Amino acid sequence: MSRATESVLVREGRSGYEAVTASAVGLSGLAFAVGLVALLDIVAIDAPVAGVGLSAALGATLLVLGLAVVGFGAASRLDYVGTAPQPSAGVVAAGAFTIVWFTAAVLVAGAVGITGVVGLVVALAVGGVAFAVTAFPREDVGSTLPAGAMAVLGGLALATGLVGPGWEWELVAYNATLFGDTAVPVVAMTASLLTGWAAAKSYGGFGARGRNVGAYVLIYLVVLSILAVLVGLLAFVTIRGLPGLFNGFAVGGEGLVRWPFLTNGAGLLADTAGVFPALVGTIWLVVGAVVFAVPTGVGAAVFLSEYAEQGRFTQVVEVATNGLWSTPSIVFGLFGAAFLIPRFGNQKSLIAGMLTLGFMLLPLVLITSREAILAVPDEYRDASAALGVSKWETVRSVVLPAAIPGITTGVILGVGRIAGETAPILLTTGGGVLPTKTAAASVLGGFQLSASPPFVTNPELLQATSALPYQLYALITAGLSGNIEDPQQFAWGLALTLLLVVLAFYAVGIATRYYFRRKLHQ
Amino acid sequence: MSRTDADGWGARVERRVGRTREFVEETDPGALVVVGLAMGSLLAAFAGFLLAAAWTVVPLGVFVVTTVYGWLRHQALVARAVTFAMTTVTIVTLGLIVVFIFVEAVPAFRYESATVFGVSVPGLGMFVQTRWDAVSDPVRYSLVPMIHGTVTVTIIATLVAGPLGVAAALFSAEIAPPTVREFVKPGIEVLAGIPSIVYGFIGFTIINPWASEEFALNGGSTYLFVGIVVGLMALPTVVSVAEDALTSVPDSMKDGSLALGATDWQSMTSITLPAAFSGVSAAVLLGVGRAIGETMAATVMLAGVQRLPEPLTNVFYGYETLTSLIAANYGNASGVQESALFAAGVVLFVTVLALSIASQYIEARMRRRLGGAE
Repeated sequence: MSRATESVLVREGRSGYEAVTASAVGLSGLAFAVGLVALLDIVAIDAPVAGVGLSAALGATLLVLGLAVVGFGAASRLDYVGTAPQPSAGVVAAGAFTIVWFTAAVLVAGAVGITGVVGLVVALAVGGVAFAVTAFPREDVGSTLPAGAMAVLGGLALATGLVGPGWEWELVAYNATLFGDTAVPVVAMTASLLTGWAAAKSYGGFGARGRNVGAYVLIYLVVLSILAVLVGLLAFVTIRGLPGLFNGFAVGGEGLVRWPFLTNGAGLLADTAGVFPALVGTIWLVVGAVVFAVPTGVGAAVFLSEYAEQGRFTQVVEVATNGLWSTPSIVFGLFGAAFLIPRFGNQKSLIAGMLTLGFMLLPLVLITSREAILAVPDEYRDASAALGVSKWETVRSVVLPAAIPGITTGVILGVGRIAGETAPILLTTGGGVLPTKTAAASVLGGFQLSASPPFVTNPELLQATSALPYQLYALITAGLSGNIEDPQQFAWGLALTLLLVVLAFYAVGIATRYYFRRKLHQ
Repeated sequence: MSRTDADGWGARVERRVGRTREFVEETDPGALVVVGLAMGSLLAAFAGFLLAAAWTVVPLGVFVVTTVYGWLRHQALVARAVTFAMTTVTIVTLGLIVVFIFVEAVPAFRYESATVFGVSVPGLGMFVQTRWDAVSDPVRYSLVPMIHGTVTVTIIATLVAGPLGVAAALFSAEIAPPTVREFVKPGIEVLAGIPSIVYGFIGFTIINPWASEEFALNGGSTYLFVGIVVGLMALPTVVSVAEDALTSVPDSMKDGSLALGATDWQSMTSITLPAAFSGVSAAVLLGVGRAIGETMAATVMLAGVQRLPEPLTNVFYGYETLTSLIAANYGNASGVQESALFAAGVVLFVTVLALSIASQYIEARMRRRLGGAE
């Protein structure tokens, strides 16, 4: 505790140190971002930056960062600034640095031609030294020296052009080659990650507070990267897909809106190829799955939480439900192919796909409905029972209405998930690559009565049909070619349509949840 | 559960019988008949469907009619019976999956028998040699190359999804200010919603050509990038399950630590994470299960050749996983080859089910240790 007070007192005279360390964190972040951009080939590594190539500039930056980080540690160790380091940087940091240095040593040894046992021994030795340097000195040296040294080495290699544009290393055994284009960004990102963490620790003055800052920097970086990937993916598909989706789109004329991509098939008669049959197929698949799974799942959830005694039976159901939830989609496809297809006319059919997706949706509905029903406070049930209302009346008029928001959200999110599934319908529903408009299933008009069992038939349900995810898969396996104008553009438009359909379900589901939560808190 | 002796069983059965008799005596006989008829006809309809009989529709019709009649006259009892029947659907489905994919896989297991110590073990031949060739002699169906592919992809995916997922869960459960969390949580849910074929399409049209150029490869299929993409797809599972585990640690434990002057990070690493450790590892296990079962991205991005890479650690080339084998070959295959695809399905199903049960066991243990936090 005395150390904490000391650090607070000494922090007064540390503002310069904090400013320098904070800018080192910022510079590391910048170097990381530039490395990422270079890795994705958005800028070339020999693009001119301040008179030198990007690679050399990155190298110089890393060199500065590395020296700075070592300096932070030294300044703290020599008591030029007041910090609160612990006796050791800890086993976790030591282990991490061991792995980083070992990997770096293996790669460098391989690149300069030391392979086999000698290379491994050298790498192990380097890893051991990294462990010792991290674990044994005081924390301020242990967590800055290995990071700074790595950045200095990497920076030297890039700044001197040892690794840079035109560098290559052929991995003969792997039949692959590493080029500067990949190596430079990777070196920059790894080194800047290390310096960023070490500088953040210095900013916090090492010790508990320093570790807090260092860990937070890493976690924020992870979350930012995940969100960046998400936004990047969505933006990429949208930009690529918009031309296809709006191909021939017009407002006015005959009808209010002309949207051929969504209302046309892909036949010779269609002026602009569209995905109408697949869209209809997806809608029917979802409707069928919902009709089967939602009543079943909600009913089961009611029984499990209101009637069943907690015991062997509920346990088995729970294990089975969670087992079904994690069963791979392709296994559901195999099951549908082996169980449902022989019972529905021995060919791929819409109804087989509906039921297969229904089986997949069932555990999702059951789990979320059960959670929603269990979340209804027992006071509601007790109050109802105290009024002399029977058990079933209570369930019907008190518990279910209170649980409806949770059930609805769960169902919508589950539907969003199965609407995008490809593997099960690949094996059970099939359909053509580029179906014409007449191939779209018209289920409602397809019912027929007959005198022999099963009395009611619907050939539309017993036929193979296309669906959005299936059609995308079929296009890819056909090598993105086909009897249409621009198959690439068509495929991106299709991908965007599928994404929009699925995300619409998610948006509605999430919005419902917020709506009901807001209402609950009013 | 401790009383497994004959006496205990007898007493329990007697009690059960007694209770049933009581229930029968108390209930209106008309309602009993209706419910009995409904349940009987449902069973008959199920049996008819199993046998693929054309007359299945008759008991189904009887079930619908009696249920509607019962719903109008004896709603409480019928509701109870019908919801019970719905509850059994999950167990029946799981049972049917087991039976049907195992039965379909039997011919392949028979074909690939191998002899150990003079005993012929069916199916062993799929795991002790490495040749899969359905066309030219000798026709063999080894699953080893595909298992190697699945394991490689899963390891890479776990390295991506595990650390990133746990870090994101910590952020969402412990660190994020409420307003930021309102953005991050739906964001991660949306990430889970992107269909796998869209990932596969991006992988096929963008990542594969890029990888081919970036590493001067012979073709663009790599286990490395399939693994990274699959890891990204398994990430939301890890985040949401791990987050549930972290938030189920009682606040009183964290508050105690914070009151002693510990930093947030100290209370996370020394209180929250250890307390939620089983839940977090269950989350990672479920993520591993997702990665093993991921199909479309692997099918579209991989080369679709049933062989082992050289050397085995070569992640710059990607050939086939268990899931992509099934997805790419089902429909063109017949006979023993088709059966071998079901065998691959059996391996997948058993592995993922075992992971699921293991993670449930771990989670249950954690809940007990935290004193029934649920």
